[in-house]
Amino acid sequence: MTAIGAKPAAGAQMEPVPMAIGLILTLIIIAAAFVLTGSSMAVALVGIIVGGLLIGFGVHFVPVGGAPAAMGQAPGIATGVAMLAAGAGLAGLFGGAWAAELGFAVAIAGGAIGGGLMMAITCMMVTLIYVYGMGIPCASGKVAKDPISGDTQTEFKSQGTEGHGLPFSSYVGGVIGGILGGAGGTLIYLELLHIYEDKLPVILNAGIPAEVKTVAVSLAGIFAIGMFLVNAVLAAYNITGTTEGPADPKFKRFPRDIVASALASAVCGIVAIMIVL
Amino acid sequence: MEHVVFGIGVTALAGTLAAVAGAAENTESDIGSQGDPNSQVQLAPQMGYIHRIFNKAIAGEPPAYGLWCALGAGLAMGFMLLQYNPVLAIILGSALTVLVQGVYATTAYLGRIASLSKFGQPVYVDILKSMTTVTMAHAFIAIFTTVAICYLMNAALGHPFPLPLLGLVWGIALGAAGSATGNPFYGKERQYQLQKFGAGVPIAASGNIVRYAEAGQRNSLDNGWFSAKLGGPASGICFGLIVFLELWRTVIFEGIGAGWGAIIVGILLILVFTIIDRYIEVWARKTYGPYAKPEEAKS
Repeated sequence: MTAIGAKPAAGAQMEPVPMAIGLILTLIIIAAAFVLTGSSMAVALVGIIVGGLLIGFGVHFVPVGGAPAAMGQAPGIATGVAMLAAGAGLAGLFGGAWAAELGFAVAIAGGAIGGGLMMAITCMMVTLIYVYGMGIPCASGKVAKDPISGDTQTEFKSQGTEGHGLPFSSYVGGVIGGILGGAGGTLIYLELLHIYEDKLPVILNAGIPAEVKTVAVSLAGIFAIGMFLVNAVLAAYNITGTTEGPADPKFKRFPRDIVASALASAVCGIVAIMIVL
Repeated sequence: MEHVVFGIGVTALAGTLAAVAGAAENTESDIGSQGDPNSQVQLAPQMGYIHRIFNKAIAGEPPAYGLWCALGAGLAMGFMLLQYNPVLAIILGSALTVLVQGVYATTAYLGRIASLSKFGQPVYVDILKSMTTVTMAHAFIAIFTTVAICYLMNAALGHPFPLPLLGLVWGIALGAAGSATGNPFYGKERQYQLQKFGAGVPIAASGNIVRYAEAGQRNSLDNGWFSAKLGGPASGICFGLIVFLELWRTVIFEGIGAGWGAIIVGILLILVFTIIDRYIEVWARKTYGPYAKPEEAKS
């Protein structure tokens, strides 16, 4: 057993009391939004929270190997969890924001596909570099057989490592993570954009809503990016280090992140709403 | 029709700029050891291997490039508001941003290496002087091309995000694509060049990075030369494909089916890349392995 393969001594178990407290606090914030700002704002806050949940859940799918992956010592993509997820999710947000005028469903789908496409290209290039640049085949360190392709893994691991490259389930996980992140980021952006387009003309005393369109888009975009990073970093703390994606035992920790993301998104969301009230 | 042709031209130009941005970004980060292999550069002196490798990793590539591209885009927008020509504004914005990157690189190198003094690792002033300017030059190319892409997206293709916000989004995406693609090539193939080709670095070898070049001690300019041969261009292709295909599917197919055309094309592209990935994975399994019989590996 090596340091990378060692089971974490703590941090994997679910704590029911803190999770219950987190859920109750989330509900209190939604109730406060309903009382203070009305039902439409409370519904928007719920949308923001759902967007945060999609981001947090999606990050758990992304296979990230960090520094060990850069040396071919562990499977995954050789970068940080939060940063890779942010890169994919923000590329999705770019697409979603572009399609915002085409309707809610098209924008969300556009954001999701934008994030998924970014991850598909990145994961394919990672496999390409490992195979053709370094001569290393993909091998998981956590499972004996790939759950999607059924390929055996252990006999392709090189000596003294915990696996390397991106096995097929990790590739699929990366794409799913990008899709969920892109959809979540776009959902937060759209909810905030609707609020700001409604409220900013009144606050800024602008006669034509188009005059404040740029301000609304900028503000919604900044908050969406900020909330994306909050949720991605929370998920990274939950994962602690490297992960192979959905096939990794650490994936089962996601319920804890769901609660944390809901609470964090509720707090950030109500601040983002209150600034225009 | 003219609008579509114009869009295709802008998309092609943005894709080309993105390819250059990705290649420059990865080479810059490898010269500065800013990606994940920085852990080995930092670990080496602690294991008794004193080196002359540059290390400016106090932030990951995505947040660092998010900052620099947002700053470059913000400054460029400011110059444009002062009625400067957009090309000149982008150049000036990028040049001023590179000064910030230079300060970052200097303080980061001094901080990281000074922390290793207890292990006998010296701060080499000649390394600081020669490497910092080279990373600044590469960073200028990466920032200039990325801000130019953002300007094209905003001014020519009509994306609603303002220039600094686009700089932040695409700076983070640039860093993510460059570090994901380029890090393994720098980490495994360069820092551990003496380890066997076609295998991961055994964990027991951690810290034993290659410190000598053909003549004298290796420094990060040698590493930049090596990365520019494959890691950099591969990162460029990665970021170029991301930018080009994202714009291409939107510009050409968004008008079909009230926006659903671009989404369907996006799904098809994901499937195509999935098939390519699976083909490469299976090809590697057939060509390189297995290294042991399944029974032996399990035992």
